[in-house]
Amino acid sequence: MTKRQTRAFFLGSTGLFTLIFLGLTIDSHRQFPTLTHADRITPDVVAGKHVWHRKNCINCHTLLGEGAYYAPDLTKIADQRGAAYLRAFLADPAKFYNEERDRRLMPNLKLTPQEIDQLIAFLGWVGNIDTHGWPPRPILVSGAAIPGSNVGGAAPQPASDDPVAVGQALFSQSPPGCFACHSTTAGVNLVGPSLAGIGATAAVRIKGADYHGKATDAAGYVRESILEPNAHVVTGATFSSNGQSMMPATFGRTLKPEQVDALVAYLMTLK
Amino acid sequence: MRYRTQAIAYPYFVVALLLYGLQMVFGLLSIAKYLGPDPIVGWLPFDVSKEIHTNVLIVWVLTGFMGATYWVVPEESRAEIYSPRLAYWQLGLWTVAGVTAVVGYLFRWTEGNKLLEQPMPVKIAIVIVMLMFLYNIGMTIWTAKRLTTTEGVLVAGLALAAVLYLPALLTFDNYTVSIYYRWWTVHLWVEGVWEMIQGGLLAYLLIRLSGADREVMEKWLYVIVGLTFIAGILGTAHHYFWIGVPSYWLFLGGFFSALEPLAFLGMGVYAYMAIRRSGLAHPNRLAIHWTLGSTIFSALGAGILGLAHTWPSVNRWTHGTMITAMHAHMAFFGAYVMIVLAMITYAAPGLFGHDQEAGESSTGLWAFWLQMGGMFGMTMAFAAAGIGQTYLERILGLGYLETQQKIQVHFLMVLGTGLLFVVGVGLYLYDFFFLAPRRSSAPTAWPAVAAETEG
Repeated sequence: MTKRQTRAFFLGSTGLFTLIFLGLTIDSHRQFPTLTHADRITPDVVAGKHVWHRKNCINCHTLLGEGAYYAPDLTKIADQRGAAYLRAFLADPAKFYNEERDRRLMPNLKLTPQEIDQLIAFLGWVGNIDTHGWPPRPILVSGAAIPGSNVGGAAPQPASDDPVAVGQALFSQSPPGCFACHSTTAGVNLVGPSLAGIGATAAVRIKGADYHGKATDAAGYVRESILEPNAHVVTGATFSSNGQSMMPATFGRTLKPEQVDALVAYLMTLK
Repeated sequence: MRYRTQAIAYPYFVVALLLYGLQMVFGLLSIAKYLGPDPIVGWLPFDVSKEIHTNVLIVWVLTGFMGATYWVVPEESRAEIYSPRLAYWQLGLWTVAGVTAVVGYLFRWTEGNKLLEQPMPVKIAIVIVMLMFLYNIGMTIWTAKRLTTTEGVLVAGLALAAVLYLPALLTFDNYTVSIYYRWWTVHLWVEGVWEMIQGGLLAYLLIRLSGADREVMEKWLYVIVGLTFIAGILGTAHHYFWIGVPSYWLFLGGFFSALEPLAFLGMGVYAYMAIRRSGLAHPNRLAIHWTLGSTIFSALGAGILGLAHTWPSVNRWTHGTMITAMHAHMAFFGAYVMIVLAMITYAAPGLFGHDQEAGESSTGLWAFWLQMGGMFGMTMAFAAAGIGQTYLERILGLGYLETQQKIQVHFLMVLGTGLLFVVGVGLYLYDFFFLAPRRSSAPTAWPAVAAETEG
């Protein structure tokens, strides 16, 4: 090979691959609107993106897996936590974490309520981008190493077709990821209240004067709480705010009716 | 030093090395924050320390590239630099822009776009600096009417780096589209045109250090940069897998980025063949250390460790974990930090007024081996952290915060090996600024050595 030939190899291959790259870029632009649901980029989403950049979020967190690795990935956070929780969290992150336990703390970014709503709109839009199935299983912010939270092992499979066993396995799987917020041990409250003895609690609760839901028995109450978290709101710093539950109200859509049945059957067994 | 204006390189190297020291401060701060709790989270949180750590790296490596170019071009084109005054103004503006950015970050003046956080006025200053630089170098070559392949590749790399900075000035409402073009700057820099710069500097150093035949070296240089772009251009897609692009990018990105190690391995073979053919007779043994070290570390860090997590079915699980930090640290150090330090080490005796006398000080060797060992240790610690994180968090489904607790010990090891590394950097700076003999001081401690071989 002469120098002239190797130069031709360099220029030719670089030119060829540049052209291919530009061609595919044009084709990608053709597909971006569908893949990213560009029609859902509202002014709030755009404003939220500016908040995201201005507050330098990406130098601690990752979004779509890109950023820094000092704080959790936020790609699916809007779905996982719901707007009400995020609103309360962003107003004062220190309320939700313990620096001694977690070794790190999110600074209070002093966001206005409007900025918070915009940021949540942005994160909600990001969560719907077609990422070819990434992450392959949900990345949780926290939820493990705590008694009764049943995580840290492989995704459990039901021991039998018994609805209780199916429900128990489902409780510890992601999705729906119930375990990420609820423990089944008495007195261990994660983000949501502990579900230990929920059947007995529910039976008392539906008789209370402040109960305005439609349930007539304990199982009905548990079912209602899964499908319509706002039907009866339990107060607690990380449970609800302004009379709105922080639990996502999406399980009615994402769970099959028989899955809800199984979950109710399992939860009713908790002592 | 054969040309008077090669001395322009000296202040560039001074600025580069001072910023290298500053980068260490913010690197140590950042890893200390991983161990937590963080007593200064209120005024200097992690996002700021990490942002300064990476931005200072980019600025000082570019400063080193520009200084090296001012050193190389007069020799290659056999002419003085067109306008030394412009070169000094350029350095001044560049330093002001860099320092402004760093101070601005401390006060939360940022665009919050990973690695391209520079606020718009700083970005514009960077573009102006690049234009000044390219004009000065271009006019030097133009008036000299002599362009060698080595400097051609080097200068083309720098010119393309300037062109590829332009997408960084654009903003898009669609986050996916912003990321798509952000990588045009970031990826096509570090896995494209910066490799051209590295290749050009490597060719220059190998020709000088081993006395290898220029015609042969330059012939293979074209092959190396050709391989870089065959793999690197479509390899951009390994950053596109999960951001909302059409699915064909998964296969293309996987396939072509798997070819990326070829160019780095090529550089290793290139250095090996040069030594086989011509030996290593050059008296500046420290520069030889840094040059060969760069080819080995970039082949390992950029080549092999990049390959380790670039295939989509692997990247699916490792994307956004410490695995990325593992690859990034060794790749950047091996490919770019080491080639700049090789150039500085090679040019230092000339810049200090001792063309004929170069030696290896034991301080310089300690600086070299501590940085090598420290970086190797940090890479291994990041790898252990990343593997643990991937398994616990991504595969078992343990929460992020709990996982971080379980891999704490690896952060401690990053800190330990990082301290070794920082001692190495400190020794390098001490050697450069205080120990190396200047013309005015007595060079008696340095062995008299044979005259530098001509390239």
